[in-house]
Amino acid sequence: MTVAAGAESRRPAKPRPSLAIPIGLVTFAVITWISVSREFGIDLNLGELAENITRGARILVREDTNPADRGLLNPNWVFLTETAEPMLETFAMAVLASVMGCGLALPVSFLVSRVTAPNGLVLSIGRAILSVIRAIPDILYALLFVAAVGVGPLPGILALLFFNIGVTVKLLSETVDGVDPGPIEAGRASGATGMQTTRWAVVPQILPNYVAYSLYVFELNIRASTVLGIVGAGGIGRMLYREYGFFHWSNVSVIIVELFVMVFLIELVSIWLRRRLV
Amino acid sequence: MNGTNNAGPPRESRPRRPSNAKRNVAFIFALLVIVGSVLSVDIKYERLVDLPAGIWLVVYKMYFERGPDLSYLGVSIEHMVQSIEIAWVGTIIGAVLSLPIGFVAAKNVSSGIISNVFRQVLNGIRAFPELVLAVAIFIPIAGLGPVAGALAIGIHSVGTLGKLTAEVVEGIDAGPVEAARASGGRWVQIQRWGVLPQVLPEIVAFWLYRFEINIRAAAVLGVVGAGGIGFIVQQTIVFGRFPLAGTALLVVIIATILVDTVSGWVRRRIIEGVETRRIVDAEIEQPALVDGSAA
Repeated sequence: MTVAAGAESRRPAKPRPSLAIPIGLVTFAVITWISVSREFGIDLNLGELAENITRGARILVREDTNPADRGLLNPNWVFLTETAEPMLETFAMAVLASVMGCGLALPVSFLVSRVTAPNGLVLSIGRAILSVIRAIPDILYALLFVAAVGVGPLPGILALLFFNIGVTVKLLSETVDGVDPGPIEAGRASGATGMQTTRWAVVPQILPNYVAYSLYVFELNIRASTVLGIVGAGGIGRMLYREYGFFHWSNVSVIIVELFVMVFLIELVSIWLRRRLV
Repeated sequence: MNGTNNAGPPRESRPRRPSNAKRNVAFIFALLVIVGSVLSVDIKYERLVDLPAGIWLVVYKMYFERGPDLSYLGVSIEHMVQSIEIAWVGTIIGAVLSLPIGFVAAKNVSSGIISNVFRQVLNGIRAFPELVLAVAIFIPIAGLGPVAGALAIGIHSVGTLGKLTAEVVEGIDAGPVEAARASGGRWVQIQRWGVLPQVLPEIVAFWLYRFEINIRAAAVLGVVGAGGIGFIVQQTIVFGRFPLAGTALLVVIIATILVDTVSGWVRRRIIEGVETRRIVDAEIEQPALVDGSAA
């Protein structure tokens, strides 16, 4: 290899420093300063916080004659039996919402993917509706549905359903966008209708992803359904919030341990299944 | 699995149909879980008939009876701004804590045992929703208010961000690391000059993505008294003041979509520099799917 003479001079000019980074850093600093300030923000004071950590420590190790009133580090295991029913309800809510949510999400994602949408109007209206659906958090759905149909697991399932449709349709429609166009062309060339093309050329391609997303959504639902009870939408959250209200830290502790075990086990199973599928 | 099934001479050249047994067992199991859930959950099925009417009534009262009450706009925006601030501070807490943890949890730059331990810690953190963290830990420590909310969001974010950081670090080009080591860099120096420049754009994009998710979390923390707009949405709905609730909900939706749009645009700009791995929204989720991360 010969080095051309005068390579030095042909070296490309150093790119001018981009303004984006200083602008970004200044914006970051300003937003952060506003956010932590006492006047405009949330008044985050690290010194005060450090002092308050001791308050937290008291809750951890508190001693009391009543087993329910002890600290978080002394779980009141007797309470376990009382939590069984709401835990089961939490699980059942997550299962039902996942089944319904993922069932609905499949056809809907075909409507909002560039590849399979029947026309541009459906595509853009569908996407707009979905971004609104995604913008409302699960607990706010739960509040609305509790107002509409009363307390219990039904509003919880409905809330999870909307939350699921938001997540699954987004993931799935992007997968549909990325399918191999070959089979679709083959389908069209052999005279298939739009529906038939979707059924025979698109669905088989996205099926493994769809199952993986469904399992993932089920995991999200398990986590979400544990807190919906706080606003009256069924499950263990209601009991958690009640015990917290009574300062029964030992009982709160039991529920937390249970949640942890349930979420962890389900995640393990789900990861194992997804590894085998994808 | 069926390839081992070769007892006796093959009579036909056609391969045996693969067995469906495993799939069927899984299917039946799933069906049992679903049926069990339907039976166990305490839903008054006759109430389902009134469901559409009930939902419509709420929407009607919020937006159509007298329209959303726009005099509540100022209060709503003020609370939504607080939610955004909670999400912002929470994301910073999560980012600052997760960056070193992510490095320590990455197999290629850390040792095997340490990385496994930290991975499990990250998995553990992810198991607790923000609301549970707020109620059980941070409201007792910091008192009712937005600081508790920001801390809850921050700690919860560490779980996901740490895991994603570790995954990005594991995917780096080993060249610069070797170069740094060959020229005598210490561990911290190797990370700073060999690893960090490679991973920073993607990690910053994850932070912004997390911020988008945290906006939604911060919008509900108010229901347990941890600050933000959740409180007024809950109060207005519980007390039946639906036109006010309608305004507040509208503010949540518009602000969330706005933040998503801006943050998504910035993310795309940051990632443009990275040519090897392009991240659009979906691909942030997808690597997580194989390994089981969750929002």
